[in-house]
Amino acid sequence: MSLCLVIWYNKIMPIHVLPDQLASQIAAGEVVERPYSVVKELVENAIDAGATTINIDIRGGGRESIQVADNGCGIPAAEIELAFMRHATSKLETAEDLAAIHTLGFRGEALAAIAAVSQVTVVSRAVGESSGTRLLLEGGHKVTRETVGAPQGTVMAVENLFYNVPARRKFLKSEAAERRLIDEFVSRYALAYPQIRFRLTHNGRISFQTSGNGQVLDVLTAVYGPEIARQLLPLTEPDPEAPAISEKAIHVTGYIGPPSLHWANRSHISLFVNGRWIKDSSLTFAVIQAYHTLLPVGRYPLGILFISLPAEDVDVNVHPTKVEVRFRHANAVFGAVQRAVRQTLLAETPLRAMGAWSVPGGASHETADWGGSLVPPVRRAPAAGQQDGLGLDWSVGDMGTRGETAVSADTSQPDVSLGGGKLPIMRVVGQVGASYIITEGPDGLFLIDQHAAHERILYEQFMAQRAQDKVVSQGLVSGTAVHLPPSQATLLTENLPLLQQLGFEIEPFGPNAFMVRAVPAILAKGDPAQAVTAVVEDLEQGQEPLAEEIEARIIRRVCKTAAVKAGQTLSRQEMEAMIRQLEACQNPHTCPHGRPTLIYLSVAQLARQFGRL
Amino acid sequence: MKLSCLQENLARGLSIVGRAVSTRSTLPVLANVLLATDNGRLKLSATNLEIVITCWIGTKIEEEGAITIPARTFNDLVSTLPQDTVHLELNEQTQTLHVSCLRTEANIKGIDAQEFPLVPEPDNNHRIRMETAVLKQIINQVAFAAATDDTRPTLTGVSTRIEGGQLTMAATDGFRLSVRSAHIPGYVDDPISVIVPARALMEVARIASDDTEAVFISLPEGRNQIIFDMDNVVLVSQLIDGNFPDYTSIIPKSYRTRTVMNTAELRKACKTAEIFARESSHTARFNINPGDEITPGMATISATSAETGDNVAQVDAIVDGDPIEIAFNVKFMSDVLNVIETPQVALETNSSREPGVIRPVGDSDFIHIIMPMHFGT
Repeated sequence: MSLCLVIWYNKIMPIHVLPDQLASQIAAGEVVERPYSVVKELVENAIDAGATTINIDIRGGGRESIQVADNGCGIPAAEIELAFMRHATSKLETAEDLAAIHTLGFRGEALAAIAAVSQVTVVSRAVGESSGTRLLLEGGHKVTRETVGAPQGTVMAVENLFYNVPARRKFLKSEAAERRLIDEFVSRYALAYPQIRFRLTHNGRISFQTSGNGQVLDVLTAVYGPEIARQLLPLTEPDPEAPAISEKAIHVTGYIGPPSLHWANRSHISLFVNGRWIKDSSLTFAVIQAYHTLLPVGRYPLGILFISLPAEDVDVNVHPTKVEVRFRHANAVFGAVQRAVRQTLLAETPLRAMGAWSVPGGASHETADWGGSLVPPVRRAPAAGQQDGLGLDWSVGDMGTRGETAVSADTSQPDVSLGGGKLPIMRVVGQVGASYIITEGPDGLFLIDQHAAHERILYEQFMAQRAQDKVVSQGLVSGTAVHLPPSQATLLTENLPLLQQLGFEIEPFGPNAFMVRAVPAILAKGDPAQAVTAVVEDLEQGQEPLAEEIEARIIRRVCKTAAVKAGQTLSRQEMEAMIRQLEACQNPHTCPHGRPTLIYLSVAQLARQFGRL
Repeated sequence: MKLSCLQENLARGLSIVGRAVSTRSTLPVLANVLLATDNGRLKLSATNLEIVITCWIGTKIEEEGAITIPARTFNDLVSTLPQDTVHLELNEQTQTLHVSCLRTEANIKGIDAQEFPLVPEPDNNHRIRMETAVLKQIINQVAFAAATDDTRPTLTGVSTRIEGGQLTMAATDGFRLSVRSAHIPGYVDDPISVIVPARALMEVARIASDDTEAVFISLPEGRNQIIFDMDNVVLVSQLIDGNFPDYTSIIPKSYRTRTVMNTAELRKACKTAEIFARESSHTARFNINPGDEITPGMATISATSAETGDNVAQVDAIVDGDPIEIAFNVKFMSDVLNVIETPQVALETNSSREPGVIRPVGDSDFIHIIMPMHFGT
């Protein structure tokens, strides 16, 4: 009976190979999801073609037409039809090439996919050829082909996208949404390729363009405006001795925002791997974590990071859209990113200047709630090549070594001249409103929030103590069973010795189950099962287990015990002692919650306000 | 409603029910206290939906009625009134209670008594009588060991088991366990085993005055409630659903070292250690040495803090067994010592990783277990 059914079924719907047209349309669905994907593929082709100028013209948010013109190597007349075949590419020859991909594209799918769902006109003249070729395709079929005169390079015009896929066309987002995506994409690639001149027009109006002079900072200015671009910090080259052997080949360059610039979401963190924009939640997290305690809760930094590593250590062939990549040494990359950002932040964190003196422009971006802008960072004498338009380098940090006054007796501070992020030696002037301490530094005055400053001091003290404390575990009256999903269970089993060091006592208790016999005493309030789950989650994210929990507890303790509150009158000795301690802090600029501890007002600013300059 | 009563009676009644008033609730009527005439007495009642406390005070009623009024306002007002007769009169139209006492007058806006949750009635047939002093002692010795955070609801309750002629209460927060049993008059045929919120029991211990001779406990069938009837006060509490961990298997059957110490001395030593243990997760080391013919047995309690310093206190002890070094959360130790009334206390241990058992010497009905702490490897 059932056999009959199958036969009957097969008669109705025999298995057959899909017609080429349909297969292409299905394949196109993966690559060409929306107008933005077309722009992405065409621009990547242009970059791979070695173009130095790329003009992108969008009409109707990409539904009407998308035109990308470049001055790259062009497509030879003989190969121009081949370019639109599926799995046809010039970028890859053997399977070995796949292991080390140096171009943005390589799958040979994009042009075929685009052509399958739109009307494409391509005009191209290859290097060394005397005339160009114009080819018109509709739904992947050649309509006309003619020889024309054309400048070197390729012009791709994609019109009526999805004209033959009504379902897709129906589900397209609004023109504004597409436009935003395309803008974002082009500015990202402009950042990654500052040597290429980009011009993006929407309906004939220029929306974004770069000069192509190779200066990332100029592109940043074009993308974020001069106000923000001026504040960005270039990533410092990591210490030559510091990186481990595995990280040798990983280089992280780029720009990050100072802690005073922050947004409500993560979209301002852009990551590029070997010139390719990627999405990677773990690396994004590495950047955010580097800002730990420097930003207010729930706010995210700005960062444009270029990671370069040997092509064979990264696999970009994960998905047709190629925005996800896999790293061979994921942890090493994570570490390199985090270290580079953190190091720059610690060394370069600029002081907050008085809000009133900042250049207006807060409307274009959300600066800190306290409306602060920035002054050039207090840092040590700059290394050659570090003057990248960020303004003057003030070697105020060196002041510490001069030790002009009695305060130089502070020998507990190991090496003042090295502490780029540390504060200069300051003289207490007085207290305002029983809440703020005024001090004089080598080149201006500082307003210090006594409560925030004291919180920072205690936080660093407690953290240092915690590092020395012995691990204490508290036994449980009766073991608590914890059930974990198989993947987490494996992770936990692998890390049992580590958990034991932290103060847990955990035994395997059947498949994917564990019996908790003791927990770290610091976590003794609360559910032991939750503590274990928290540790496993930390491990999953590649974080140091429990570091966050313990830190949160310390911050809570700081908040409880921070003796100095706003509104408390301090004697001169008390203020001096606090300033000395703040000077010794690793990161004196913010309290553990990310609020600023001090505001800086330079002599030059004073002079300007009094009309002396 | 129109009635008069003595200011001190009203103030006492309000302070008793006041603890059940819900301060943070989306239901406005829960911040109110119910005033109702009831068989010639004034009934005051407050609830946070977990417990209900009702208190009756003697009054002279001229007109029956009921109203709820903001508990805090009324309590504050009554406490400032002179010690004289307070007259309460309800304006039914405006739901406003007029309060007058000598030359003070006030009007408090109320909410209709109909909106107040129904107050359960005690079951007078199946009730268990317990002497107030005994019940208070049990609660004081057990309830403190319950968990205070709500992540594990079962552990915020006290396991209460009535079987035959015996009542046993037990509480644990996962790190310590307190178990106490007592005889009850009469015999219960069907064993009862419920989990009562520790908070409710602590309220019972607070309310039950030593004047009342006995407290009557009843568990109305199918209502998932426990009712404590204390003369003029009735406390009704919801029971906690769940399975209380089986604690009988945790109690060690034997020991290798038994250390008998003076309760007050040990309490004092723990208090000293707490000063230094505060910063280091309350860890204190107990070093127990049996001594020999010449030197007496000794327990040395020490605590160390990287920040503040350290201390050592010695307590004379009669040690039976091997010497041992074991670490405890000294706060837990102090907590239990504070509720032990016998002059001597025994600490029974096996190894530094196995539970420590604390028993009052001469009172076999109470047993307390503290899990040791240990230092990472």
